[in-house]
Amino acid sequence: MQVVFNIPGPLREFTENRSSVPVEVKAGPDLRAALQALFAAYPGLRDRVLTESGETRRHVNIFVANEDIRYTGGLAMPVREGVEISIVPAISGGIPQCH
Amino acid sequence: MIGQTLDHYRITAQLGEGGMGVVYRARDEVLNRDVALKLLAQGTIDKVGSGHLLREAQTASSLSHPNICTIHQVGQTGDDFYVVMELIEGRSLSDLLTATGLSMETVTRYGAQIADALAHAHDRGIVHRDLKGSNVMVTGDGRVKVLDFGLATRMEREEVSELTLSYDTLESKLVGTLPYMSPEVLRGHKADHLSDIWALGVMLYEAAAGRLPFRGNTGFEVTSAILREPPPPLPPSVPHGLAAVIQRCLMKEPAERYQRASEVRAALEALQGAVLQSRHPSEETRGPRTLVLRGMQHLKVKNGDVLLLIGTNKGAFLLRSSRDRARWDVAGPYFHGQGVYAMGYDGRNGRHRLWVSTNSLMWGTFLRSSDDFGRIWTNPLEASIRFPVESGNALKNIWQFCLGRADEPDTLYCGVEPAALFESRDAGESWSLVRALYDHPHRPRWMPSNGGLFLHTIVPDPENKARMYVGVSAGGVYRTEDGGNTWQARNSGIRVVFMPEKYPEFGQCVHKIVLHESRPERLFLQNHWGLYRSDNWGDSWQDIARGVPSDFGFAMLMHPHDADCVYIVPVESDEFRCTPEGRLRVYRTRNAGGSWESLERGLPQQGAYETVLRDAFATDSLDPAGLYFGTRSGKLYASKDEGKSWKKILEGLPQIVCVKGAVIQMDGVPAARPRAKGKPAAKRKAARTKSVKCGNRR
Repeated sequence: MQVVFNIPGPLREFTENRSSVPVEVKAGPDLRAALQALFAAYPGLRDRVLTESGETRRHVNIFVANEDIRYTGGLAMPVREGVEISIVPAISGGIPQCH
Repeated sequence: MIGQTLDHYRITAQLGEGGMGVVYRARDEVLNRDVALKLLAQGTIDKVGSGHLLREAQTASSLSHPNICTIHQVGQTGDDFYVVMELIEGRSLSDLLTATGLSMETVTRYGAQIADALAHAHDRGIVHRDLKGSNVMVTGDGRVKVLDFGLATRMEREEVSELTLSYDTLESKLVGTLPYMSPEVLRGHKADHLSDIWALGVMLYEAAAGRLPFRGNTGFEVTSAILREPPPPLPPSVPHGLAAVIQRCLMKEPAERYQRASEVRAALEALQGAVLQSRHPSEETRGPRTLVLRGMQHLKVKNGDVLLLIGTNKGAFLLRSSRDRARWDVAGPYFHGQGVYAMGYDGRNGRHRLWVSTNSLMWGTFLRSSDDFGRIWTNPLEASIRFPVESGNALKNIWQFCLGRADEPDTLYCGVEPAALFESRDAGESWSLVRALYDHPHRPRWMPSNGGLFLHTIVPDPENKARMYVGVSAGGVYRTEDGGNTWQARNSGIRVVFMPEKYPEFGQCVHKIVLHESRPERLFLQNHWGLYRSDNWGDSWQDIARGVPSDFGFAMLMHPHDADCVYIVPVESDEFRCTPEGRLRVYRTRNAGGSWESLERGLPQQGAYETVLRDAFATDSLDPAGLYFGTRSGKLYASKDEGKSWKKILEGLPQIVCVKGAVIQMDGVPAARPRAKGKPAAKRKAARTKSVKCGNRR
């Protein structure tokens, strides 16, 4: 089964400058499996999108068919054939209070 | 062979087999590190003689370059002749080429690094003679390492014909060499730097086209092609510029090739700017593993220069000056838009390596290094500093980067948020969490300070390998006396204003700890309210805050040569966090905290509401000592006379969070360093040989 990932500008250095990459997903098609397939094909993306414990970074949003995964089941949500998955930096990222 | 020991090297695994012998992974039991050990085949030793091999290896071992595999040692034990080299984790270029094709941008990038390695060696009279895809490795972060410089034995004329005739029946290790041999060497001439450039051309062709330029079914056909036939045209996907460089490397007539490897490198680097466009003028070429920063003026750093590393919350700046510290060149912003809270310079073991941590709120924190003062940086595919998965913790930022002791030149430390200590024993290639501190029973009860919960200060004891101190906000001072296996809170006498108990065992919000190498039992500490000194390795602390306008502050700096002299920048209060009364003043003690005096000359004494953060005050360790501090308002001040007078050398930067200073020593020329002044401690050992003799003072 194939899904398509939309890659934000700052991460395109890891996808040979492509803004949209198709990815083959095999096992139990949930978002996590789709992401794993993406990371296997394009090393460099994983640590920028997920923390070491496997959660999405706080200021990174993932949309599946234009829906924020926070409201539709997170990384366990199912994905269907041909769906567009967008990785988007969140507007909430800014300078935190320092000292 | 596995499990056996040669001298003090214990063989642990076989890595591969080359034309000259077998390569093993081995453990250096003296220096406690993994190395690569090549055991030379008897046939090789017989042919050229062990004396000759020893001389060749000695010459090759003098090469010190980021793209050349370092030779550590050459040895002979019984009948075994071996070479000990840097262990490189990565893949050979040949493997990479068969596995995946390389993008043109990658080809030019790798090619430039190989050319740089060749230029370095050729300048020192060393020719490789056997350059080929299996002799070039690429590490996980895209750095190229050329192996076996100068170790290839010269092939006699008869051997070359033999190789040609029995090409299809020879074992693969020798067959690998023929396609890279230049016409003049096939004709019997001695291999020289021009035949190295030819071999580079063959590798560039192979990488760009996915196949060798000169091929055949028999050795005769391959030789014929090399001698007489032009290489087949490159595919149309290869850009014009790259094709031209390859063509010029592969001119049959040596005099028509590039005459210097540095010209090839320059030609390839010029191509890199043309390959990709970018919105950011300072970061024109990005690849998955190496970041080349173009479109800005980089520093041209010379031996003896003073280098300043400035980290801000929106990028890094580098400054250089000659020893007179009169005029400063500035380069940057590097990694603009990212927080650079930790920086360091590692000039040990022949390295000239800059380290920065880049923190993007979106994309995480990554450690990066540069071996050429900022032109090329590593761009890791994976974060090298990471919490174990089962910990459930995620790295938020790196707050401190620290070199290990002089007698552990490949050791590095990082202090991070959430509070933890990481160490590297291989000059930064890999990092591990110091578990004993992470698992300390106090840790769950440490409280985040205003800026978070982080480990910001790392102070190795310069004389005792087993002892080290860390500062945690807000956990306090922790000390290990057994090399990091156990840690104890050492906060007796340091007060806490934000908890009901004024002197708890831990939980202090310490801001900075400093010591001087000549008196390691004595430490000074700037606290969240409070200035302290310990005379017993941190067992107890006494108040030394008499005579300062405020004992709240962040930064603290030890004089590089005077163990009684410490500098601070008092800040009015935890609420206001700016210098008192609108006056920017540095305070200094010259009697270990007995009294303090203000240093104001050249600093604004009106309307100056500044803050100097804890890691933003540094020295260059020259004599007289240069001092440097950066403010939250983006100003950088410098003093050439140990603080008597100051000058603003830069302003308009983003918030400065880190300032580090270093003196650059190249090619083994030491910069003069005076011995420490001040009253000798009762237990001070004899002066160590690492101090430079005064006769070398420039």
